[in-house]
Amino acid sequence: MKNRFKIWQFLLLIWIITLLIRFELLINTYDLIFSWLILLISDLDTALSQISFDLLDSMIAGILFIVIPLLSIIYRKKLGFLYGKVFPAAIFLILLITCFLFAPLISNKNPDFYKNIGITKLLPPLSSVQVLHFKNDQNFQPSESFEKFLFLKDKVVKKSFDESIQYLDSISTGGKIIYYQNGIGKEANRESLLLRVKDPFITKQMFILGSDQFGRDVLTRLIYGARISLMVGFGSVIISLIIGLTFGFLAGYGGGLPDAVFSRFTDMLLSFPIIFLVVLILALFGNSLLSVIVVLGFSSWMSLFKVVKTEVLSIKEKNYFVSSKLLGLSKKQLLFNEVLPVIIVPIIVNVIFQFGNVIIAESALSYLGLGLGNNYPSWGSMIQSGQEYLSLAWWMIFSPGITLIFTLLSANSFGISLSRKLNPRLQND
Amino acid sequence: MRSTIARLLIKRIFSSIIILFLIITFLFFLVRISPGDPVQKFVNPTLSPKLAEQVRESLNLDKPIHMQYIGFLTSAISGDLGVSYNFRRDVSSVILEYLPFTLLFTSVSFIFQMIVSFWLSIKSVKKINGLFDRALSNITLLIYATPVFVTGVFLVFIFSELLNIFPSSGLSSYDSADFSFWARLTDYIYHLILPIITLSLIEIAIFYKYLRDNLEDVYNKLFVLNLRASGVSEKDILLKHVIPNAINPLITIAGIELGIMLGGTLIVEVVFGLPGMGRLIIEAIFTRDYPLVIGCSLVVSFLIIFSNFLADIIKAFLDKRLLTGSLN
Repeated sequence: MKNRFKIWQFLLLIWIITLLIRFELLINTYDLIFSWLILLISDLDTALSQISFDLLDSMIAGILFIVIPLLSIIYRKKLGFLYGKVFPAAIFLILLITCFLFAPLISNKNPDFYKNIGITKLLPPLSSVQVLHFKNDQNFQPSESFEKFLFLKDKVVKKSFDESIQYLDSISTGGKIIYYQNGIGKEANRESLLLRVKDPFITKQMFILGSDQFGRDVLTRLIYGARISLMVGFGSVIISLIIGLTFGFLAGYGGGLPDAVFSRFTDMLLSFPIIFLVVLILALFGNSLLSVIVVLGFSSWMSLFKVVKTEVLSIKEKNYFVSSKLLGLSKKQLLFNEVLPVIIVPIIVNVIFQFGNVIIAESALSYLGLGLGNNYPSWGSMIQSGQEYLSLAWWMIFSPGITLIFTLLSANSFGISLSRKLNPRLQND
Repeated sequence: MRSTIARLLIKRIFSSIIILFLIITFLFFLVRISPGDPVQKFVNPTLSPKLAEQVRESLNLDKPIHMQYIGFLTSAISGDLGVSYNFRRDVSSVILEYLPFTLLFTSVSFIFQMIVSFWLSIKSVKKINGLFDRALSNITLLIYATPVFVTGVFLVFIFSELLNIFPSSGLSSYDSADFSFWARLTDYIYHLILPIITLSLIEIAIFYKYLRDNLEDVYNKLFVLNLRASGVSEKDILLKHVIPNAINPLITIAGIELGIMLGGTLIVEVVFGLPGMGRLIIEAIFTRDYPLVIGCSLVVSFLIIFSNFLADIIKAFLDKRLLTGSLN
């Protein structure tokens, strides 16, 4: 039974679970996209001025939620891995990529959301807090299309603040409604509260992985932190792939002087601890998402360079390569048609290990405070802030730490199993 | 024989110098193309522009870029790395203050790593695919996937917070000035145990993997079978024949890993708040103390090149084939 569980079934499971849990949000998201499109036609300037990162993020996640399953059904013949068996590393990587793409759908809060720090700070995992709901304009019926758009945007895009709720310790509802926060009682006006029959509407909110020193939900921050790690990982791996491939091909194909120059340059970079170089460049040129990606990409192409160079050196002597060169193929054609298909396996394996290394480097940078700053949650910076509260809140270091370890473990084991699967020599054994 | 050794040495020294030269050039241009005017670090904007000109002149910034480069190169070679903005002292004297700790720390953990990984790999190779061997290979995989700072923070949590055995940061207790010499020494050691373990774990995993695979390779060779058939004891086979054959690739790895370890030291020093080069460089970077940053980078890259150089030389002396034949 266990062996029959395929990857596409797992993906479908995730899709259905997300659909069921976030049904209302999804409907609102599509409504939002629709009303934005109407706005785009009727009033272009207003529609464009409303665009923010969070809005785009939610809308793209909503679209991808439909488009990706459709595309994978249409192209299922080409996506052979969908029929592969599920293994732990694949499960973890799929979950990470889901977090990466659909973070606004999966999490129900803004990662920077905090309220009533006195009550919600440093809560242990699985603890829940009572929430008192105040009236907001729920029953407001928008008439104009722009008003409707704003109303939906308010519902879909998560904000880092919320005026309509209060976290509380306890509440007394006899006659006057008094809610207690940190031992101080406050009276709430019955008119302003959201009522269920006669009692005030109180829900419980659970912090599954606890909360940090500002009362922010650790799980939400973990989900959003996956985005940074994967984004930096993908981005810098692509950069290092381009550089390593080009330099390696030029050095191996050219031989002589280009080889000497590129090899000396690689030796120089290798003899310098990469983290020092990265830290130095980030300090000199400032740290943003783009600079972190570029710097890590530029500092991790050396092993790929060596792999490509040695492979090209051996391919250069082969008859088929010489004949296609004599046929007059350009360097670009030689690289993409003759060399790349032969060396794709070592490259893919190298790239996957590189991916793990880059994620380590990014989290180390965030830990040192040189990552993306405090603007965006990152696993490394979560561990850094957790270290200050080590004696009070162990969950603040353990949840990001263990997620980081699992990510790297699954990347490594994915690389190993892929290299086994793709290597024809090992398959024959 | 002697002439080949001399030639090898000269060649190796020459290529090291070229790499060092490239690094200096690289650092120079990196700092020059970075945004921001270095003069602003020295001069308060409310002071007269004339003073700024003077400072600019004293820093050689008024000259054309190739003259600046030559000036930078000559002063770097003569050991003059400029004046630190924070410490208001020569960069070289600041570095000399922090360097001994890092060197000591790195070398102690290096020896520790070597001993532990040797012991583990010999023990696990005794029974290949035994319980110990398999368990260890899984554990090393796990350790290899754990970033250094995560290991450090977890160890601090377990040993300082939960068990309260080791101190969580610093190099000495607050009242250590009153201690006798031996008490102070034990105090230092006590503070350094966790950092050394943190720095060593991942390197132990790497060395263990290499050493174990090498030992297994050598054990499978025919000459070992021959020795066994001739009745040589297992202990003699291991000590006199297997280890000398297996150790050679390890030295190359060790030379490279020593460099990577210096990068790891940076993070470990930050995690445990130790006064070494790593903390110095991070502080220098955060306070934009460029002369100190460049000085530290130069010293660190020199250390790495030197360790690679040393590893190559040791390897050549252990394996005479490299000396006579195809070493390049």
